[in-house]
Amino acid sequence: MRTRDTEKEKLVKKIAVETIAKGGFESFSMNKLAKACGISVATLYIYYKDKDDLLSQLAVEHGKMLAKSMLHNFDAEASFEAGLRQQWENRYRELINNPTLSKFNDQLRASVYQDQFLSTLMEDALVQFKRFNDNIISRGEVREMPFEVYWSVAFAPLYALIKFNNEGQSLGGKPFKMTDEMLWEAFDLVVKGLKK
Amino acid sequence: MENFNHILLFRTDIKSEEDKQALQPLLDKNKNIEQWNVDLDDEDYVLRIVSYTLKHDQVIEMVQDRGYNCCELT
Repeated sequence: MRTRDTEKEKLVKKIAVETIAKGGFESFSMNKLAKACGISVATLYIYYKDKDDLLSQLAVEHGKMLAKSMLHNFDAEASFEAGLRQQWENRYRELINNPTLSKFNDQLRASVYQDQFLSTLMEDALVQFKRFNDNIISRGEVREMPFEVYWSVAFAPLYALIKFNNEGQSLGGKPFKMTDEMLWEAFDLVVKGLKK
Repeated sequence: MENFNHILLFRTDIKSEEDKQALQPLLDKNKNIEQWNVDLDDEDYVLRIVSYTLKHDQVIEMVQDRGYNCCELT
């Protein structure tokens, strides 16, 4: 008799995330996944209807996880600087501490699963971030501008630094390791640029 | 404990949407089949059948009769 084994299910998800983070969706197969997990292909198909079912579930779960970590200690009523600082802190910790997860999320964003991933992420996080943005504009801390302009100035420097760090090198192959000082130096410049 | 004896799994050569459609009437009209799908996206083309009454052999015979390979996925 086959029974459900939650430890095995966790292992399946973990290995699937690692495999996709490394090699993308193209070469990902249930057969290879089962081998990598040391389980039978049949066991995988007990848990999941098909490959699409497994990947959809992963996309939704990771959207939820990412939303949760982005909202950690975040208060939509906070001042512009404090609120943005918490968002930087959360994203930074998440991406630095978990390069595999961040690569997996990048793969999700570039795949057919991006809608499921992003809609779950946004469902939980968007309301909070939108409220924060409305607040900082109505309080006159930041002037009104297209959301995309705000977002680019507010977060692109953070993601560029994290990318350099996770790749271990910056422009021209120069070795690079990010420090907290660099993070907050960039943050101060961003705040200066956006604050009215 | 939850058991999964009602999930029957097969490795097949049902590789395309056309192949799947060729089998659709047969599987759809079978009253003993609660639900079925074929994973066209993966290399084993797994046919997954939910049935509380059918045995593996019966499904294999049915599918092979239509000219497709079908063996139990273990």
